[in-house]
Amino acid sequence: MSSRTPAFEGERRIPWRSPRGIDAALAAWHQGKVWRSVVLDETLPARPAQMAALPESLTESTRKALAARGISELYSHQARALELAAEGRDFVVATPTASGKSLCYNLPVLEAFARRDDARALYLFPTKALSRDQEDGLRALLRDAGLAHGAITYDGDTPGDARRAARQRTGVLLTNPDMLHAGILPHHANWARLFGNLEYVVIDELHMYRGVFGSHLANVLRRLRRVARFHGSDPTFVLASATIGNPAEHAARIIGRPVSAITESGAPAGERRLVVYNPPVINAELGIRASYLKSAVRLTLDLVKADVPTLVFGQTRNAVEVMLKYIRDRLASEERIDPQSIVAYRGGYLPNQRRDTERALRAGKIRCVVATNALELGIDIGSLDAVVCAGYPGTMAGLWQRFGRAGRRQGASLSVLVTSSAPLDQFVAGSPAQLTDAPIEHARIDPDNVEILIDHMKCAAFELPFEADEALGDVPPETVGDGLDFLADNRVLAVNEGPKGKTWHWASDAYPASHVSLRSIGWDNFVIIDLDTDKNMAEMDFRSTHTMLHEQAIYQHDAGQYQVERLDYENHKAYVRRVEPDYYTTAEIRTKVTITEQDDDVIVRRGPRPLPVGLGEVSVVEKVVGYKKIKYFTHENVGYGEVHLPVMQMHTSAFWITVPEPTVLELVTATGCARPVVIDGLRGLLNAMHTVAASALMIDPRDLGRTLGDKDDPEGPASSGGGGGPGFDPTLFLYDAFPGGIGLAPRLFDERDGLLDRTRRLIDGCGCTSGCPACIGPTVGAEAGHKPRRLVTAILDHLGVVRADPRAGAR
Amino acid sequence: MSRFKQRLARLSMPGPAASTTTVVEEAPAPPETPPQTPADRARLERIATLKSRLNDMVSRRKAELRTARPDPAEVSPRRGWGRLPRGAEAELAPPAPVRALDDFTGVPGALEDTPHGPIHIVRARFDLDHCHGHTPVGGALRVPAAEVARLALDEELLGVDPTRALFLDTETTGLHGSGTVPFLIGLGWFEDGALHLCQLFLRRLGEEAPMLAFVTERLAAASCIITYNGKSFDWPLIRTRYVMNRMTPPPDPLHLDLLHCARRAYKKRLGGVRLVEIEQRVLGMERIEDVPGSEIPAIYLDFIRGGTAERIGGIIEHNAHDIVAMAALLGRLGERFAEVADDDDPRDLLSYARIAERAGDEGRAADFARVAAERATGGWAADAWMLHARFARRRGDTDEEHRALVAATAEADDDERLGQAHLALAKLYEHRLKDLDRALTHARHTRWIEGPTRHQKRVARIEAKRARADAR
Repeated sequence: MSSRTPAFEGERRIPWRSPRGIDAALAAWHQGKVWRSVVLDETLPARPAQMAALPESLTESTRKALAARGISELYSHQARALELAAEGRDFVVATPTASGKSLCYNLPVLEAFARRDDARALYLFPTKALSRDQEDGLRALLRDAGLAHGAITYDGDTPGDARRAARQRTGVLLTNPDMLHAGILPHHANWARLFGNLEYVVIDELHMYRGVFGSHLANVLRRLRRVARFHGSDPTFVLASATIGNPAEHAARIIGRPVSAITESGAPAGERRLVVYNPPVINAELGIRASYLKSAVRLTLDLVKADVPTLVFGQTRNAVEVMLKYIRDRLASEERIDPQSIVAYRGGYLPNQRRDTERALRAGKIRCVVATNALELGIDIGSLDAVVCAGYPGTMAGLWQRFGRAGRRQGASLSVLVTSSAPLDQFVAGSPAQLTDAPIEHARIDPDNVEILIDHMKCAAFELPFEADEALGDVPPETVGDGLDFLADNRVLAVNEGPKGKTWHWASDAYPASHVSLRSIGWDNFVIIDLDTDKNMAEMDFRSTHTMLHEQAIYQHDAGQYQVERLDYENHKAYVRRVEPDYYTTAEIRTKVTITEQDDDVIVRRGPRPLPVGLGEVSVVEKVVGYKKIKYFTHENVGYGEVHLPVMQMHTSAFWITVPEPTVLELVTATGCARPVVIDGLRGLLNAMHTVAASALMIDPRDLGRTLGDKDDPEGPASSGGGGGPGFDPTLFLYDAFPGGIGLAPRLFDERDGLLDRTRRLIDGCGCTSGCPACIGPTVGAEAGHKPRRLVTAILDHLGVVRADPRAGAR
Repeated sequence: MSRFKQRLARLSMPGPAASTTTVVEEAPAPPETPPQTPADRARLERIATLKSRLNDMVSRRKAELRTARPDPAEVSPRRGWGRLPRGAEAELAPPAPVRALDDFTGVPGALEDTPHGPIHIVRARFDLDHCHGHTPVGGALRVPAAEVARLALDEELLGVDPTRALFLDTETTGLHGSGTVPFLIGLGWFEDGALHLCQLFLRRLGEEAPMLAFVTERLAAASCIITYNGKSFDWPLIRTRYVMNRMTPPPDPLHLDLLHCARRAYKKRLGGVRLVEIEQRVLGMERIEDVPGSEIPAIYLDFIRGGTAERIGGIIEHNAHDIVAMAALLGRLGERFAEVADDDDPRDLLSYARIAERAGDEGRAADFARVAAERATGGWAADAWMLHARFARRRGDTDEEHRALVAATAEADDDERLGQAHLALAKLYEHRLKDLDRALTHARHTRWIEGPTRHQKRVARIEAKRARADAR
């Protein structure tokens, strides 16, 4: 219509007419209510570049490759990497994201290739996607250097002729630990050329290899070194890690010998504004805060509207999909921005969907990405100006890896943390200054975990017979000998007393590597099939399937909702159909812990009654028993359904504290509360202990499981839901959430007194009125008529864990 | 009482796996020099813990033996999350050793001192008229080299002397991987008017080197090797063993893999072409009490861990049968491929026709195809007629081609074959017999086989030609 006025096409309609940039968004937050909830606003100064000249000794081909990239001098850490490589030292590079880490390992490899035509290098990445990403860049580098050594990714998707080339010709083999373990090492005779000439083993994303996965990798590398030695090589290891607290120690544990560390980055960094937003309390009684997801969405919207390319991290797939839906809905109605310029990025998407996202990001067609930690894995997405992290990722290292995705080498960037009401989040929000000055978490592995070690000894025996007095990496001969005897006694190995001494041979027709999965969540993913199109739309790992793909679950994918109509558990398929519900679902998990072996016990005597504390091996059985329907936007609970799925079981190590029945009876008398209420109070105590333990051990809280059970009877209160009957000894369990354990429980056992004291301090120091998620958790909060926090402190008083002397609390 | 002592006490409890306590009994003496640094001490503590946990696994396993296994419904069957040491799980109650490890009573053959070292060898000799089933082994000697090359579709074999071939078949401890060991290498060759068998048996793992040297020597004397599935299995495996034993692998020999020949010749009739199927239905051989191939690794692995030698003889016989069967099969293939035989199954004839065609021997191919078509019954008979029609066309024998195609349409029992026959007829009528009405009739049936676009073009073209012809 011609009567339309120009004003109609004015500022309201065209989003980029509104004020632009980070400063504009921050200014708007300052003026509005937002700033009242900001608990930290700090500016980290820009860091200038530290440069170093190209070393004199650098070969002509490497110089050419650098010149082709316009590089005439190196960052100081890259130069240091070349120095260490020239000395033949193993080293780890732990510098921030986007500091040019990959040159630190590529340059030494280029140098080795320039010296020797038949030199080989093996690159390990934790995922297939990462090795594919590196392949192109590496090929270009080799080409520019004028080197004929190729680079080939070898994984399950590599076609047959490329496999042959990989075995025979290629200079760099890029693969993942799983493939090395099950596809390469057991066939090492076919890879004689690689293993005979292996000069470098490069392990990128070292920080990913923690817990069981890292313990497995360490053992795979023990086998790798053994096989390489057989073929006549002794490779140098170069490792690269995001920021962790103990890069040198961790790298040394992974490769089984000392390494040098490069931790000072010479790369420049722009100024970074760090903001922590703690959503306001909307129900002081129950300590309930405004939804952190909605808060994150609002802040993100402000940034996107101000034309700031933004990356949003959620902690779960569910959170990602919920935020994606909210952001798209709001932008579509308010600003007429194409909802398709807001995309999700997570592990469940198929590789080509993720590739599309990466391309669109680089091309600037996408304004906002909502992601789980998939982007943590160093996939190159270019740089974004702002990162919003919805929920504390559980570790400082994880937070900084997410924040590292924002920021250019010049110019300012913004990093926002929106804290949830989870205990650890509130712990962070309560003392936000620690974000910039607290130490970063340590990555922990236990390569000598007996189950893992024995599994890999089997694989190693298949690869090469063991000889008498042989060590396996840093495992000394006598321990190896014990393991070999154990395996021989179990008739997995055959012993031969030959003229040259004893040898141990693999003597089973099973192929051992195929029975050993390097990741606690197995290879056996479930495939998700859309019933309307009959297409495979995504995959999900075995463990998540139980909580996210049970029948009737609402599965979220690309901002669409699908209901699981049938879960074919045997064939690992979930059939879903598109639906438009006004709710989503969350699964309810029940955990049972049974002690299988008590390794140590001690009686803690803090009060009149003894408190038995134990350490040992437990069987943890998890079962998804049902699910709740949660309404969108209001987050009301609108229904419940049952789930019937097989249980998941693991063996791990646990630390426990038992409150004997007589003590429970005394607590009932002393507090004047009914027995079930006292048991609930113990649950609250356990929640507080869990928070304290996770922060003291500097680990992701999800790595430590907790449950209240009975020491001798796993059918105790956990399954009956009530307070447990007479004769029940409530036991507070904290266990390593990895099969076989990674050594957390023994540390808790050793630090048991400190753990109790710090738990008391956490509860005493909490600012809430009667118990909140930050201290004793939500379990107790719902109980009307009691002051749960007072109950828990009364329990602690009775157990003799008294309020600390404020002066002593300085520890 | 120390924790270590506690564990010892637990371990010495009598139980079904009491022998496993050796882990503890053989524990080495503590180091003579005390640890120097805290790191050393930590290291030693870790080792001690590891050792005691190993022992724990043993005792826990015993406990599991005594108690009922967990309710299967309660424990997830999937691997990955719930794990026990698998070797222990797989063999909870290993049979007690019945044989001293150096006692080889009951194993056929004998230890021979060879220039390469001691090898346990089983020798046998078969006269040329020895029959495997109803097929004599000497037939292999009558196959000319050129025929071998044709059967194998491998020109490299043209110049080899088949009488100096080495038959080779292995029995192994598994299917793949550098840890899979061929514990029985069966070799066969013709010499002095007989088929000689020489089977090298590995008494203990770790003593392969003399066997491999022996193989190298035999290979050097042979013109080629003949195997059944050896291209993808036996030969790569043997080559791997050289690498694993730090020996130089011999150069890859010329190689006739009879599996591929048998597949081309008999897949059509038999469906499967495992050697036992070939034996039963081509060579007329029925093995008595044969050891199934799938059980062989377990029998041998039990043996080397002190188990009975009883069934080793069965494995050696199984392997011998395989080698003799290969010799018989080669003779049989050569004989039947030479010319049409009265008692040949027409499906085999059709297969021979195709092999001959691919080997470039069109005359022989046409002969096989003709007889196959005439004798054929059933749906695949259309295939024989179609092939026969193709050779007729190449000869320019239009009448015979027409007869064959009509027969093909009559025999075809599915859309694919029927469509192909109609398509060939449509072309024949249109281009050579110039009968456009009939061409059109047949062209009506080709839509499914050539797709709508090409089908419509064909029909339109024939109709246009017919319209022009009518106009004239």
